[in-house]
Amino acid sequence: MLFVPVTLCMVVVVATIKSVSFYTEKNGQQLIYTPFTEDTDTVGERLLNSVLNTIIMISVIVVMTIFLVVLYKYRCYKFIHGWLILSSLMMLFWFSFMYLGEVFKTYNLAMDYPTVAMIIWNFGVVGMICIHWKGPLQLQQAYLIAISALMALVFIKYLPEWSAWVILGAISVYDLVAVLCPKGPLRMLVETAQERNEPIFPALIYSSAMIWMVGMANPARHAEPTNQDTGTFCLISAYNPLALTMLRGVKLGLGDFIFYSVLVGKAAATGGDWNTTLACFVAILIGLCLTLLLLAIFKKALPALPISITFGLVFYFSTDNLVRPFMDNLAAHQFYI
Amino acid sequence: MNLERLPNEEKLTLCRKYYFGGFAFLPFLWLVNVVWFFKEAFVEPTYTEQLQIKTYVKRSGLGFLLWVAVLTTWITIFQHFRAEWGEVGDYLSFTIPLGIP
Repeated sequence: MLFVPVTLCMVVVVATIKSVSFYTEKNGQQLIYTPFTEDTDTVGERLLNSVLNTIIMISVIVVMTIFLVVLYKYRCYKFIHGWLILSSLMMLFWFSFMYLGEVFKTYNLAMDYPTVAMIIWNFGVVGMICIHWKGPLQLQQAYLIAISALMALVFIKYLPEWSAWVILGAISVYDLVAVLCPKGPLRMLVETAQERNEPIFPALIYSSAMIWMVGMANPARHAEPTNQDTGTFCLISAYNPLALTMLRGVKLGLGDFIFYSVLVGKAAATGGDWNTTLACFVAILIGLCLTLLLLAIFKKALPALPISITFGLVFYFSTDNLVRPFMDNLAAHQFYI
Repeated sequence: MNLERLPNEEKLTLCRKYYFGGFAFLPFLWLVNVVWFFKEAFVEPTYTEQLQIKTYVKRSGLGFLLWVAVLTTWITIFQHFRAEWGEVGDYLSFTIPLGIP
């Protein structure tokens, strides 16, 4: 049940990457979270810079996560609500505006400001209503997928090459730690929410069933819906995601969507050909399968990133470096197996 | 949000809020109102609030169609006459295609 939305998100990201060149153009601009450049003279320096970038990025995430847990513990709900609303506003209006502009430029279409204003205004406001208030479930799911795709595209554009891969690896490790260790911030978040028996705050969760209020936090995200009557199984991911298997459906945090899509998107952008992209896609779905299996066995909060990302990374590097030259050689020599 | 689990008065309030919200230049909201409450208004067996929900859905539908007509007209005019309008056309343009006048 989670395969369709995850696949959709990845399809949107890959389709955009392959058609709109804006998201693969590097113009030297980087996020402030990754200040070290990868335009260095030696391989060693580049590796060092990407590791440093990762350390900075992960520390930012850790700090944000802890900050959020502290806010939650001391019941500063208004602050959290405000933060979430602000970030979803930015996503729904600014990033989609940029995206629309780039799509029009790619297909060389003329568009006027009044029409664009109407489109973005409608898209944004209905999105805010569906995510933060009440709206039809399918529309809410569609908006969450759209937001995840937009965020993944931003990451793909602004994270330098090697840093992106190292960050993916590091965040899976952090995820594992934050969710499973007794003092991990996300674990504490879940436990506090369960003690208080309340839905924490509008968070970033995709649910295949309904009821939960979902919203968004950026960059630290937390998903945490607690249903008074059921479910205590969760899949949590460091960067926010939390999936709950309730009697009715499964929930997966949006951070998970984002990082899966970043992996597949980067594979599509830099990986050579479709073999690599497909391999990563399959790897992530297999990882998700296994994670859900583990969830059914252990019945507690689990990190959703590690298994899928590990498989994805392994498949990416092996396909790119082993399978692709092999297939190219076979094709060149007209040798069919 | 599952409509089935809501009591009828809340369905009516929700439909009404969506209807009034659409007046803020939000034809999409009206479309969502129509699609979401269509079954409630026309397919479900009658209940007290259903008549009002029906009116809201019908009006939202009309409003949406009106907006579609307006926007289609404006877009057609703009796309056709953009080049001829010169400066005004450029001022109004968000993206200008390359290679075509």
